[in-house]
Amino acid sequence: MHLCERCNKPATVHLTEISGGKPHEVHLCDACAQEAGYIQQSHVPINELLNQFLKSHAQMPDVQTQRCPDCGLTWQEFKDTGLLGCGRDYDLFEKQLQGVIERAQHGGTHHTGKTSASSAPGAAPAAEDPVKLRQAEIKRLKKELDIAVKEESYETAARIRDQIKSMEGPS
Amino acid sequence: MTLDNLTSQNGEWLSGSGPQQDIVISSRVRLARNVASYPFMSKANRLQRTELHRLVRENLLQAPSTGAGRTVFYVDMEKTDEIDRQLLVERHLISKQHAAGEGARGVAISNDEALAVMVNEEDHLRMQILRSGLQLREAWQEADKLDDLLQQHLDFAFSQRFGFLTACPTNVGTGLRVSVMLHLPALKLTGDIEKVFRAAKDMHLAVRGLYGEGTEAIGDFYQVSNQTTLGRSEEEILAEFNDVIIPRIIQAELAARQILENERPLALDDRIGRAIGVLKYARLLSSEETLYFLSHLRLGVVMKRVTGLDLPTINSLFLQTQPAHLQRLLGKQLEGDARKSARAEFVRNKVGKNNL
Repeated sequence: MHLCERCNKPATVHLTEISGGKPHEVHLCDACAQEAGYIQQSHVPINELLNQFLKSHAQMPDVQTQRCPDCGLTWQEFKDTGLLGCGRDYDLFEKQLQGVIERAQHGGTHHTGKTSASSAPGAAPAAEDPVKLRQAEIKRLKKELDIAVKEESYETAARIRDQIKSMEGPS
Repeated sequence: MTLDNLTSQNGEWLSGSGPQQDIVISSRVRLARNVASYPFMSKANRLQRTELHRLVRENLLQAPSTGAGRTVFYVDMEKTDEIDRQLLVERHLISKQHAAGEGARGVAISNDEALAVMVNEEDHLRMQILRSGLQLREAWQEADKLDDLLQQHLDFAFSQRFGFLTACPTNVGTGLRVSVMLHLPALKLTGDIEKVFRAAKDMHLAVRGLYGEGTEAIGDFYQVSNQTTLGRSEEEILAEFNDVIIPRIIQAELAARQILENERPLALDDRIGRAIGVLKYARLLSSEETLYFLSHLRLGVVMKRVTGLDLPTINSLFLQTQPAHLQRLLGKQLEGDARKSARAEFVRNKVGKNNL
């Protein structure tokens, strides 16, 4: 049995190095082989690996830095408070919310109850009601804004954004 | 209508006139709604908050919004002092969070207190219909109607997939929370109450105390409510509650009362007698202690083992011995022993004449 060249413990790593064209045998124990840089520590704890994996995922820009253009909410903020900032967050963070909602709702994933008056088929906005009319207009503009951002027409987007801002301000 | 009137009257829900009133104190239906095009409360700035408050208040005070000939008055939280906010909590017209909150917010209340709409709580609107006894369907119909009326003027945040959108995803979908306040002293005395809790938990129901989240079940009052708001229709949620869950709990309590009456009448009368003794002769009473003994007295009244007291009187005592009510009724602020002494005197005057 070979002994470790450095510390005389039983050697577990046996290498043949070729230097200057001549083969040369090296016998080392685990610890010394690691120290010498021949082998890498192989037992990285599994949870450390997982953490690294999750971290690298969490740092993906679309999850960590995504901010709602309407209310400014980030996913981290939701995780801290449990509260969403506006209706649009349900669309924006739909993927992440899915699991949360399914757990909170004991498996419920889709609404099956009463629908809103404005979402009913054939519902016309109450033309005589200025408040409702303004809300409908803001809703329409926000859809346009989404399209403009997707198409990267930033000038148009900025114009629509200002328009929405002025409409949402005090009347 | 003012808060002064409120203190001395009993809301319809405490009248003890609804179905199953021996066990079911009240039925409550709550709908959470948010006005589309405004951020939810946590992200609303001061201006948006104030604007929302004005917008919703105006709509609530419009006669047609209030439904069935009810008159509605509005309480602005920012202009209401602490004791009156507490008074509203004790009457189940606002939540603790709403009382303790900040900024523009308020509550619209109907004269009979059956309707209460909190504005700018966790959601822009929290509409509540409260009825005495087991009247869940009636409560739902009224809430549904109020919701329809308001939607003629307000566009609520809604998505095809998630339904009505709420600040917290635990309310999303129907936005419907159904709760029933139960008085279960016999189940407590026989020790079977734990079984009811376990069954409720298995059915994904929440069981809380008299004043909702985080409050102990003092005075043997338990509030049972649904936790799931998404994936089931309003009708399904209501049917399960009204036709299955609550009748089962009522049956269990009735069975426990029967056992007490048939097998342990002495122990039962002893409980009731001790309660009367304390309520009649104590000179210092804390509000928790009062609830505890009033609960046993109430059991005595509904089981007809006590004469000279009726259910509405007992029900109102539960309310009027709460800190804010007591101080409001006596017209002065009281702390510590002074308050306990005033409470004991108040109770003595009401309970003094009955006989076991």
